[in-house]
Amino acid sequence: MSIIKTNDVKKWFGDFQALKGISMEVQEGEVLVICGPSGSGKSTFIRCINRLEQHQEGEIIVDGIELTNDLKNIEAIRSEVGMVFQSFNLFPHLTVMQNITLAPIWVRKKSRSESEEKAMELLTRVGIPEQASKFPGQLSGGQQQRVAIARALAMEPKIMLFDEPTSALDPEMIKEVLDAMKELALSGMTMIVVTHEMGFAKEVADRVMLFDEGLMVEENTPTEFFDNPQNDRTKLFLSQIL
Amino acid sequence: MDLEYKKSIAWIRENLFSSIPSSILTVATSFFVLGFFRGLFGFAMASDKDWLSVLNNMQLYMVQAYPEEDFIRVWISVGLALVFAGMSIGLWKSTEESSLSDVFSKFLKVSLAFLFFTVVAPTFSSVTDNDGIIQTEESFPMETRLQLLIPSAIFVVVFFVLKNVKLNYKFNKSDLLCFYLAIPIVLLWIIKLPTIQLDSSNQRIIPDPLMPIADTTKIPWTIIFGLFLAFYFIGSRFKDSKNMKRTMSISWVLLPLFIFSWIFKKPEIDLPTILGQDIPIFIGIFLIGALTITFINNPIVEKYFSIYLGVLIAITGIALFISIPILLKSALLLLVLFTIVIPAVSSSAKGKRNLIIVWGVSLFTLSVLIRGGSSDTQIIVQQQSIFGGFSLTWLLAIFGTYVSFPLGVLLALGRNSKLPIVRLVCTGIIELTRSVPYITWLFFASVTMAVFLPEGVNFELVVRVLMVTAFFSGAYFAENIRGGLQSIPKGQYEAADAIGMSPFQKTSLIVMPQALRAIIPTLVSSAITAFKDSSLVTIIGLIDFLTIGKVIIGTQSIPVNFVGHDRENLLFIAFFYWIFTFTLSRRSMKVEKRLGLGER
Amino acid sequence: MKSALKYLLFFRNVVFLKWLSQIVFLAGFISIVLRYLGNASTNFASTNIAFSWDFLGETPGVSIAEGMYTLPVSGLQMLQVGMLNMLRITVTGIFAATILGTLLGIARLSKNYIVEKSATGILEIVRNVPLLVQILFFQALILTLPRLEVSEIGTYTFHASAKGLAFPWPNREPNAVLFMVYFVLVLYIANQIFKWRVRTLEKEGRETYPTLWAVVSFIVLVVIGWYGGFRVVGIIGLIAGFLSTGLESVPGIFYQILFSVITVFIGFRVTKRFIDSKKSEEAQGIYSDDDYFKIIFNVVIVVLLVFLFLTSFGASVSKFLVGDELTYKADWGLPQLFHGIENKLYWFPMHDVEIEKENVEMKKAEIINWVVEPGSKVEVGDKIADAYIIRKPNEEKIEYEIVAKYAGTIETLYLEEGKSLKVGEEFYEIQVTEGDPFTLSRPRIEQTGTTKFKRYSDDYGKKLSVGYFATWVGVVLYTAIFISEVVRAGIMAVAKGQSEAGLSLGFRRSALLRLIVIPQAIRVMLPPMGNQYLNLAKNTSLGIAVAFPEIVAVGQTLYNQEGQTLPVFIVWMIFYSTVSLTISSIINFYNRKLKIVER
Repeated sequence: MSIIKTNDVKKWFGDFQALKGISMEVQEGEVLVICGPSGSGKSTFIRCINRLEQHQEGEIIVDGIELTNDLKNIEAIRSEVGMVFQSFNLFPHLTVMQNITLAPIWVRKKSRSESEEKAMELLTRVGIPEQASKFPGQLSGGQQQRVAIARALAMEPKIMLFDEPTSALDPEMIKEVLDAMKELALSGMTMIVVTHEMGFAKEVADRVMLFDEGLMVEENTPTEFFDNPQNDRTKLFLSQIL
Repeated sequence: MDLEYKKSIAWIRENLFSSIPSSILTVATSFFVLGFFRGLFGFAMASDKDWLSVLNNMQLYMVQAYPEEDFIRVWISVGLALVFAGMSIGLWKSTEESSLSDVFSKFLKVSLAFLFFTVVAPTFSSVTDNDGIIQTEESFPMETRLQLLIPSAIFVVVFFVLKNVKLNYKFNKSDLLCFYLAIPIVLLWIIKLPTIQLDSSNQRIIPDPLMPIADTTKIPWTIIFGLFLAFYFIGSRFKDSKNMKRTMSISWVLLPLFIFSWIFKKPEIDLPTILGQDIPIFIGIFLIGALTITFINNPIVEKYFSIYLGVLIAITGIALFISIPILLKSALLLLVLFTIVIPAVSSSAKGKRNLIIVWGVSLFTLSVLIRGGSSDTQIIVQQQSIFGGFSLTWLLAIFGTYVSFPLGVLLALGRNSKLPIVRLVCTGIIELTRSVPYITWLFFASVTMAVFLPEGVNFELVVRVLMVTAFFSGAYFAENIRGGLQSIPKGQYEAADAIGMSPFQKTSLIVMPQALRAIIPTLVSSAITAFKDSSLVTIIGLIDFLTIGKVIIGTQSIPVNFVGHDRENLLFIAFFYWIFTFTLSRRSMKVEKRLGLGER
Repeated sequence: MKSALKYLLFFRNVVFLKWLSQIVFLAGFISIVLRYLGNASTNFASTNIAFSWDFLGETPGVSIAEGMYTLPVSGLQMLQVGMLNMLRITVTGIFAATILGTLLGIARLSKNYIVEKSATGILEIVRNVPLLVQILFFQALILTLPRLEVSEIGTYTFHASAKGLAFPWPNREPNAVLFMVYFVLVLYIANQIFKWRVRTLEKEGRETYPTLWAVVSFIVLVVIGWYGGFRVVGIIGLIAGFLSTGLESVPGIFYQILFSVITVFIGFRVTKRFIDSKKSEEAQGIYSDDDYFKIIFNVVIVVLLVFLFLTSFGASVSKFLVGDELTYKADWGLPQLFHGIENKLYWFPMHDVEIEKENVEMKKAEIINWVVEPGSKVEVGDKIADAYIIRKPNEEKIEYEIVAKYAGTIETLYLEEGKSLKVGEEFYEIQVTEGDPFTLSRPRIEQTGTTKFKRYSDDYGKKLSVGYFATWVGVVLYTAIFISEVVRAGIMAVAKGQSEAGLSLGFRRSALLRLIVIPQAIRVMLPPMGNQYLNLAKNTSLGIAVAFPEIVAVGQTLYNQEGQTLPVFIVWMIFYSTVSLTISSIINFYNRKLKIVER
């Protein structure tokens, strides 16, 4: 049973067509890596999955719920899909602990003590339990991104979306974030990751996709994708990035 | 010593005479500044100025016609504010220290400046006599100058010596501030001022005899200062307590409300109303809130909670528009606000108990304030409101800010909304309000507004002006807040969306706290502007601080003739406003810097 | 089936909810507004004063202390005087405040200790005292000057007293407007010549002296203009005359229909463009629910506007375009406007001549017999009529001759023989053919009536009344302080990094400031500067406190007279909005222009 299913998804920004019909499926527990040149629509696509962008045509079904203008569906899907952003987007006026417990308390209506317990657990999982009472501004980029992962996980999502999680980081910090993501992947979380970290894709991904100009041009297992690319566009892309 | 001398020569050369144009500028500016000072001094010292018209009318300036038998209320108001100030200075005690020689060098600078200005002050000033002819007269005779020169020269020498004797005592800056404040209190007991005295035939005795300051002035001030010191020490004892600081912040917000509704106003309390209306309302609303808190975790309650909240909001919405006691309306409003936050904060049994206490205290405070505010006052001042003079100026400034702030937040959110019609309407309101000057809105309040009110509804002019002011500065606040909203990156909204927050939660938990923090400095300067703008009410005939100096004192003729003495009063008013706004803006700048406000 | 279900759940649809909430909001807002308007109409019904605009046409019967007309014939004209007074202070104030503010801002950045500290001192004083107190203080200051005395009657170069200030000024003669338009034209031509020379310089790479060319051509053209060349501009008057006649013949309903058609057309264009954008190759004609709502909303707005234009609102607007009794009285309305332009800007402008005061006691003049008739040519000093001076108290008459003030052709004689007119009223119209556009005149102190009342004459030199002076100085100083902050912040924002870059390129400090820092700083400064200009415009309203008759003060006088507070308030609102909009669009224009130059 696929947990995400999209069918011919199209999206326009004014006159510019960002997505030109994307159809795909993601199985439960699968780790999918999407790569592609900038402007290829990969970020737009995963932002459509939790409705940060609105697709105009086609259908997106997440865990059996179709994403429409229906308020209930949007709410339901958002609480099942966690998202990690390129620029972390932590709330600067709240401590790390408050950042993580905010959604469980206000959206899931859990008690404070329960949420804080859970938050500590998550912080330990991403390796920074000692930073709980600091403000985001006092942390390094890598630590911030790990807090962001913990924040998304605090909602106990079934699916995690990563929108270029490492591209705003200094090289020495990329590893700590990727490690946290690997650990998450191994725990059986369904993940869609937009990234240029090919090492991560080779090691962790179950499947790799290449987007170009709003279309999915290649979809394959990591070994096939890197060693034996079918499409010329993929070859070109790999030659540029590797 | 030689080195220091060379250093200062180098400094002068570099900063004053670095090039020929710079030297010319230095000379020209010095000339201009000296001329300005001499002109102003001559103007102030000329014999046709009667500064007693200011001094003698201080009471009028502050409270206008407030009856003397109730003056204790004024003193309590001032005292409370200063006690709070003392407590706050103690709580947020500075950790900086300054050494004794720093203090003496500051004193040295002051006495040097005093010495310098005494030397350059003009001896003669010109006076226009009754026939319109300008005459020159000696207004600052040599002996007066000498009397001032000798002590100041002595002070300069003393402080210079003290400064250069390296004394290694260090003082906390907050302690030092209290010491500085003690100086005027001590002066109150020492100095003698010329006072107007009338002889048996009700004629003014000239020259005015020097008299010590009246006991009715100096005793209250001394008591207040004593309390200030006491609370300063109490505050510094608790300076590590976060709860105390939080309580103090809330108290500052409540203080003006409390002063205006209970202390300054002397409300007329009707016991049957309290027993038959206020107490039942209080108990009823309190019970509803307390029950909600207690049973919030019950699964059945949890299931129907959103419906309950919806019904509550609807009832409150209707209640605002029907005629029920104003206490019930505001209590319902508070209940709604409280119910929204209940699910988030209550968890353990202890937490619930604390929450019930908080709920009880805030509801009680609200009831007390509303009762005081909505009752009639027992203080009767003929034909006008009990607020006059400086108390009116404060009332306008503070309440203008109070009411306009929430209004400004709403308008700013509306203007920043994604919904086009809401945006259009809010933009229209903001722009129309801002398009005309404040004075036209004041005219609107004084002559036009009555047209729009239902028949039989009639507000006092002060109330109408307050309403209009709230609206006007609300529109200005809205623009400031919008600036803050725009400074929030898009990612913050997206992150909030991604973790599934509702628009209301997004606004109140993520957007507003950040936006407000970013614009606090702008808001403070808007509040200061509101304080300055309150002087405009003089044009529509309200008797504020400016009106008293400009109009009222100039018409006093019995028992002492002050007709035509409005220029010195204007100078005094300018100086008074200046002291207030200058101190306020400087202080707030320092506090902002220390708390790191205004930066994201 | 599935899609049907999708629409059945419409109440959970986000788009539907979004629009529903907005419509509810709008309905709530409108109902609140209507409720208060309803209150107003009941209140009007219960009092004697009904809401009406009639007062605009009635003669208010009060005089205004200074301005274009001191005895306005209609409420509208009275308001017009207030508006012009306000604009006078605003425009001159903006220039003065900008210059002063820039100087202060630079002074605050100066390395010279005393200059910097003094500028900061002024800033702290002015910023922290309410503007109203400052204006009152300036008024008090000038009132300490000596009063005018009988012994001082005469002509002066400069004079200051408790009545205000007076100094020499080029007074406008009938040809002045013509010359001013010509002057602007010459400025434009000189600018074009400058640009043309610069282009040649860039193309051919040789020195072409653009500044010299521009200055010389400017001077030559101005000199030619002064000696009569300015009459070229008269073509404008000719065209305006045709327009005026044309407009008068168009009925009001024409404009109402014209506006409606324009609205429908614009609405149609906007909607069509919106639909077209969806029809493009990429978008493939797909509409979201949101788009449908937008289209419906557009249509609703167009219908509402057309309705407004075709009812009484449109009718009253078109009155201003066609002209009726009211607009004629105040010289408002399009045909009158063009007629006015024709009179002022014709080759030989028309001029209405007023009865001048011959001696102190003269109140009125009575014409005994006209020596001239329409069409006859006169020179300056020629006799025009025999007349009586009428003195008020006992209507005592003294015979005297009226002579021509301007050379030209007599056009119309307004005053019949044997009738009398008050001093200052117009009694004949002349087409002026000769004379300089401006004459320099020095202020004169005169005595009015037999009383001891002395004043500066309106007709000689320039006088600044106490109210004008106090308001102007107060407002300019106050705004300049805020502008100095803007300037300082602007220069500092740019100076940090850019100075280093510039210095490393080997620029000198002055060149650096002129070529690199200032152009960029202006871009940073422009929007906050615009805000300060808006504040200045609004702050002029404080003139009411020192009896300066600007629009608010005049409005107040008017409603005290007529009891119509609401219409006056609406006039204030429209006027100030227009001024604010004009200022901000000028600022936006320059802002955009600078931005394009930048990129």
